[in-house]
Amino acid sequence: MKIDSSLPLEYSTEENRLKIFGFWVFLGAEIVLFATLFTVYFTLQTRTGSGPNGAEIFELTPVLWETFLLLTSSFTIGLGVHAMRIGNKKAMMAFFIITLLLGLGFLGIEIDEFVTYVEEGATIQTSAFLSALMTLLGTHGLHVTFGFFWGVAILIQVASRGLNPQTANKAFIFSLYWHFLDVVWIFIFSFVYLKGLIS
Amino acid sequence: MKELFPKQHVMGFGFSLLLTVVALAVIKFDMSFNMAFAVLLVTALAQATVQLVLFMHIGESEDKKTLYTTILYSVFVGVVTIIGTLFAMIWGYN
Repeated sequence: MKIDSSLPLEYSTEENRLKIFGFWVFLGAEIVLFATLFTVYFTLQTRTGSGPNGAEIFELTPVLWETFLLLTSSFTIGLGVHAMRIGNKKAMMAFFIITLLLGLGFLGIEIDEFVTYVEEGATIQTSAFLSALMTLLGTHGLHVTFGFFWGVAILIQVASRGLNPQTANKAFIFSLYWHFLDVVWIFIFSFVYLKGLIS
Repeated sequence: MKELFPKQHVMGFGFSLLLTVVALAVIKFDMSFNMAFAVLLVTALAQATVQLVLFMHIGESEDKKTLYTTILYSVFVGVVTIIGTLFAMIWGYN
């Protein structure tokens, strides 16, 4: 394995560079996946049947908290990758832990939101609008949930093996995934919640 | 401590918070739906760009041209899926 020490650890071998490239290709597929879910949502948005519409169930305050938590977690994982690049393992782990806690906070609010909807009689079976909404939000939430466990696994590896080309590569790829989830959330925040609240 | 907070990241974070506040204008101020939609589109795309460029460093590796092509192509397929479906299923009936 040829290690190019002029590059950051996560890019230092051919295999690492290919893995990062491959992950970007995967993110391309994820963009298309979420585009199809947005398509379904936009198409069925007005099909509320006898159930509520978006403006009736969306609440701005929890959504703003979710946005703030996810934006901040995207910032802290960016700091984590920066700390990793300057070789500060302690700071890197601290930033990753903060990121995952913020992610948990996001999930807590989202679960509470779903419970509230169901209590108000807005379940996934109520209308086409709610089916599409909950599939879109649920797929994003599932990604965050998966990301949480992925992040924990990476932290365990970094703690036990230290920062080397393998662990740095995994941590960096995880950071790409986490930033991507933030990008998806921004579109949900803008075109599901804010747009739903004004129309 | 200071070395842990690179200027680029702090600025990117400030910028993304600012964009969120700007997007909120569509709720706080009375504006036409088209105007509100334009504001949301611009702020969301700017947010995505902040993430991709400042946080994900899409342009830092040697195959950045291939990455830009891959991501732009995915976005193209996504946009065609959304616009094409709306065209066939919703707008076509008006």
